Amino acid sequence: MSASLELRELVKYYTSGSEVVRAVDDVSLTVAPGELVGLYGPSGSGKTTLLLLTAGLLAPESGSIRFGEREVSSLTPGEGALYRRREVGFVFQSFHLMAGATALDNAALKLLGDGWTLRDARRATRPWLQRVGLGEREEHIPERLSMGERQRVAIARALAGEPRLLLADEPTGSLDSKRGREILGLLRDICHERRIPGLLVTHDPQARAFVDRVHTLRDGHLSEGLDAELEVGLV
Amino acid sequence: MNPTIFGVRVSMLFRFYGWRLRRYTAQELLAGSGIAVGVALVFGVLVANTSLTGSAANLLHGLTGSASLQLSARSSQGFSEQLAGEVRALPGVDAAAGLLREEVTVRGPSGRESVQLIGFEPNIIRLGVLTQREPSTSELLLIGGLGLPAEVAHAIGVGQGGPATLYANGEAHPAAVRLVLTGALASATKDGTVAVALLPRAQELTGKLERLTQVLVRPAPGSERLVAGELRRLAGGRMNVESTDAELSKLSTAAKPTDQSTSLFAAIGAMVGFLLALNAMLLTVPERRRFIADLRMQGFDSHQVLLILGFQALVLGVGASLAGIALGDLLSHTLFHRVPLYLAVAFPLSGAQIVSSTTLLLALGAGVVATLIASLPPLLDLRPGRPADAVFREARGEPGITRGAIVGFGAGGLVLLAAVTVLVLAAPRLTIVGGMALALVAVFLIPAIFEVTLRGLGRIGERIPGSMLVVAVTELRSTATRSVALAGVAALAVYGSVAIGGARADLLHGIDGAITQYFDTADIWVVNGGEIFNTNSFGAEHTAAMIARVPGVASVRTYQGGLLDLGTRRLWVRARPASDPAVLEAGQVVSGSLTRASALIRHGGWIAISSSVADERHLRVGDTLALPTPSGSVSFGVAAVMTNSGWPPGAITMNAEDYRRHWQTTEAAALEIGLARDASATRVKHGIEGALAGRRGLWVRTGGERAAESEASARQGLRTLSEISMLLLIAAALSVASALTAVIWQRRAKLASLRIQGFDYLQLWRALLLESLVLLTIGSVDGVLLGVYGHSLASRWLELTTGFPAPFAPGGLQVLETFLLVAGMAMAVIALPGLRAARVPAHAGLQE
Repeated sequence: MSASLELRELVKYYTSGSEVVRAVDDVSLTVAPGELVGLYGPSGSGKTTLLLLTAGLLAPESGSIRFGEREVSSLTPGEGALYRRREVGFVFQSFHLMAGATALDNAALKLLGDGWTLRDARRATRPWLQRVGLGEREEHIPERLSMGERQRVAIARALAGEPRLLLADEPTGSLDSKRGREILGLLRDICHERRIPGLLVTHDPQARAFVDRVHTLRDGHLSEGLDAELEVGLV
Repeated sequence: MNPTIFGVRVSMLFRFYGWRLRRYTAQELLAGSGIAVGVALVFGVLVANTSLTGSAANLLHGLTGSASLQLSARSSQGFSEQLAGEVRALPGVDAAAGLLREEVTVRGPSGRESVQLIGFEPNIIRLGVLTQREPSTSELLLIGGLGLPAEVAHAIGVGQGGPATLYANGEAHPAAVRLVLTGALASATKDGTVAVALLPRAQELTGKLERLTQVLVRPAPGSERLVAGELRRLAGGRMNVESTDAELSKLSTAAKPTDQSTSLFAAIGAMVGFLLALNAMLLTVPERRRFIADLRMQGFDSHQVLLILGFQALVLGVGASLAGIALGDLLSHTLFHRVPLYLAVAFPLSGAQIVSSTTLLLALGAGVVATLIASLPPLLDLRPGRPADAVFREARGEPGITRGAIVGFGAGGLVLLAAVTVLVLAAPRLTIVGGMALALVAVFLIPAIFEVTLRGLGRIGERIPGSMLVVAVTELRSTATRSVALAGVAALAVYGSVAIGGARADLLHGIDGAITQYFDTADIWVVNGGEIFNTNSFGAEHTAAMIARVPGVASVRTYQGGLLDLGTRRLWVRARPASDPAVLEAGQVVSGSLTRASALIRHGGWIAISSSVADERHLRVGDTLALPTPSGSVSFGVAAVMTNSGWPPGAITMNAEDYRRHWQTTEAAALEIGLARDASATRVKHGIEGALAGRRGLWVRTGGERAAESEASARQGLRTLSEISMLLLIAAALSVASALTAVIWQRRAKLASLRIQGFDYLQLWRALLLESLVLLTIGSVDGVLLGVYGHSLASRWLELTTGFPAPFAPGGLQVLETFLLVAGMAMAVIALPGLRAARVPAHAGLQE
C-alpha cells in the first residue's frame, strides 16, 4: 500500500554555547507516492538534519512528520529502528559497504537486523541486485566493483526488505557524471515503479533532470524550486 | 635559526607532528602505550637482574674494605681466632682482621628477617671498613650494640635501640638491637641483608667463642703472591685461601639459575611486548597511508615524506620509551624489588637498585627500533610507479588478505615451528631464541586460523535467524588485515602468558615437590629459629636426649649439614643419618638408581650430587669427586645425580657419619623426630616445645609446616618470575582491550550507517562484542597451542640449563585461567566503549 511523506511546520534547532542555530525552521513538505523530490541547499543549510528527522533519528522541537498512518516524530527508539528497517531505504554518499563481503551479502545485511537468516536474506535480495544491474556480479567484493557499481549495491541494500520510503544523502557525491546519471535514473525509476516517495539530498546539478520537483533549503527555510543563488551556482 | 633537511624546515617537522597528535590523539596514545609497556617490561627485568650481583658487589666491597685476600673456614664451626694473629705476623701482610660470619634471624614487632651477622675485630678500621669519622657507630658497637641496616630494621619494625630478638645457635637473645646504622658504614650496607657487631659480641651471640670464619688480609704492595703462598701454607688444606672477590663469583653462580630463568621469561616477555608495540603501531597504518598520499599530492617528494614520517616515529618512539623506562623503574622499585631470602642464607645481599647506562640504552633502543620498524609498512606507498593517490583510489576499508598471503604465512609459520623444534632439541641453550621465535610463529599462523574460523562461523551464522554473528563475521572479513593484527595481539598475549605461566608453575611445582620430599623423612623437625635450609648448626646432644623422653617420640635422629664452597659454587650439604627412612628424594634423581644410590650413601663414602655440579665437572655415576672438607680434601664416589633440590648452586647429599668424621663436628643442623604409632603430631610437638622451654632459639615444626616455610622462601625468591608472568598477562589483556577499543571507535561512521538502516544499538553492541569475542578466541586458540609448546620447551630448558626441578605438566586449569583472564579483562574493558560506539549519533554516518 503506497503512502505519502508529510512534513508539517517542522522545527529543529541546535544550541552551541549561547548561540541557537535553527537547522530546520518551519518546514512543510509533502512527497507523494511515486514522486522523487530533490532537495538542494548549501552546506550547513539543514539538509542532513531534515533527512535525519525524516528517518526518525532526530526528534523535532515542534511540528510533525507523517508517513502513511505513522507519526514518525513520536516513535520510541525501538519503534524508530523498526520503522527504518521495514519502511525506509537509505542511500549514502559513501556507500558504507563492508569490504571483503560479496555484493549479495552487502545488500542482504540490512535484513539480518530484522531476524532473517542470511540464506533467506540472500534469496530475498538477489532480485534487487538484478534490478540494479548487478545480477552477474553478486559474488564480487566491493574492491572489485567500480564506484557506480558500489553505489548500486548500496541501493539494492536500501531496497532489500521492500521499503516504502527512499531517502538518499548525496548518492552521486562520489561518482563521476556518467555514473551519477545512471544512479539518479535508477532512483527515479524505482520510485516510479514501486510507487514510493523519495527524498534526494544533493548538490549535483544534473539531478534536476531526474527528480519530479526541486526544493531549496537555506538557513533552515524551505522554498520551492531553486533559489536564485543556487541557480547561478549550479549553472 | 631554523635549518632545513631535504628542504623541510625543522620547525615544520614539529608542526606536522603537532597536527598529527591533535588529529589522532587516541591512536598515538594507543601506539605509545603499547611501546611503553614493552619497554617497561624489558627495563624492569634488566634492572632487577643486574641489581642483585651489582649491589652485592658494592656491599661486599664496603664490608671487606681494602683487603684483597681472605682465609676462610670450610664450615660454620670456623677456626681459632688465634689464627688472625698468626696471619698478621706473616711476611708481606700489611693489615689483617678477623671476621665471624653466621646466618642468624632477627625478629622485631612486625616481622623477622634472615641476615648474615658479621662480627668484626676492632682493627678492621685499618682496612677502611669502620673509619674514625664514625665515632658514634664505633662507640655503640663497642658497648655491645648490634647494627642493622635501616631497611632490615624497618622491615622488622624496630627503631634506634628498639626491642628485637636475635636467633642463633639454638638460642634466642632478646633486646640485641642497639643501633640502626647511619653514616659511611650504613651507605656500605644500605639495603643489605646483614647485621654488624664487634667480634666478641658476635661470638657471644652465636655461641662461637674465640672462633672466626674469615681473616681479611691486605698484603703490602708487591707482596700479593708471597702472602697468598704463606696463607696456603697456614691453611694446610683445611681452609680456603682466595681473593675477597671470590665471594662475588659464588654469588654470581648462585644467582645464575634464577637469573637465567628470569632472562628466559624476560626474553619471551620482551618479544611479546615488542610485538604488542608493533601491532599497536600497525593499527595506525591506514591513517599514515592517507597522510602520505596527502603529502605526495601536495608535492612533497619521497625523501621529504620519509623524513616527516621518520621524525614522527622517532618522536613517538623516544617519548613512549622514556615513559616505559619510567614505568619500568617504578616496577623495579616496587614489584621486582626483592632480595631473594633463600640466597641471604649464604651471602650478604643488598636490595639496592643499580641502573647502568647499558640497561638504559638497551631499553630505549628497543623501544625506538620497534617504533621505527612498525612505521615502515605505510612507506611502501612511496614505491616508484605507485600513484600518489593510490590509497584514495583503493576501496574504502582495507583490502582483504589474499589466499597467497594466508598460505605463505601459514607455511612460513610451520617451517619456523619445525626449525625451532629441531634447534631446541639439538641445542637446549637456544631455547630463549626458540621461545622468541615461537611468538613469531603464533603471529604467522593467525591468518590461516582466522580464515578457517570465519568460514565455519559464517556457515553457522547463516542458519541462525537475525544472528548478529553474520554481521560480526562480515565486519571481520571487511577489516581482515586489522582483525588479523588484533587477533595477533591476543595470540601474543595468551602465548606469552601460557608459556611463562606454565613454566613458572612447573618450576614452583618442582621445587615444592623437592622440598616436600626432603622434609618427608621426619614427622617433626627441630631447627634453628627462622632457618630455611637446615644449614645452621647447634649443640644438640642434651637436647636430643631431652626430646627422646617426650611421650610419643619414637626416635630422634641428628641431621647435619651446612654450606660448602666448591670452586665457584656454594653447595648445600645435606648429611642424613643412615637410619632416615629415605636419604634421597625419589623424584629428584636425574641419573642413577635410587635404591642402589641410597644403599651406597648409607654405607658411607658415597654422595649424590646435583646435575649442575656433575655437568660442570663432567662427572657420572660411579666417578669420584674430591670435596674440600675442614679436615682436608676427601674423595667420595658419586652414587647418583640429582636436581638442585631448589638450591640454585646445587646440593650434595651424604651420610651423617661421613659428615661427622670429615667436618669434625657432632653439632646438628636439625633434629628429625619420628613419632610412636598412634601418637598425635600436634600433641607431641607441644610436648617438645615444653621440653625445650630453655632453648627458645630452637623451633619445633611438623614436616608439613617446615615444608610450607621453605616453599614460601623458595617462592619469594622466584617471585620476579610470577610477577613478570602476571604483568605480561595484565599488559597483554589491556593491550588487546585498548587495540579493540581503538578499532571500534574508528568505526563509528560505519556503525552510524547501520543505525540509519534500522539496526538498534543493542544489536550493534552485540555484534561488536561478538566480533571481539571471535577475535579473542581465534587469538587465544593460537596462543594456547603455541603457548603450551613454548611452556614445554621452557620447562625442559629450566631443568637442563638451571638444574631446577621443573617437570612439564600441561596445566589445563592455568591455560583456562589465562584465557578467561585475557578474554574477561578485554571484554570488560571494551564493553563500555563498545556500547558508546554503538550509540553513535546517526548523523555520523552521513559525514565523511
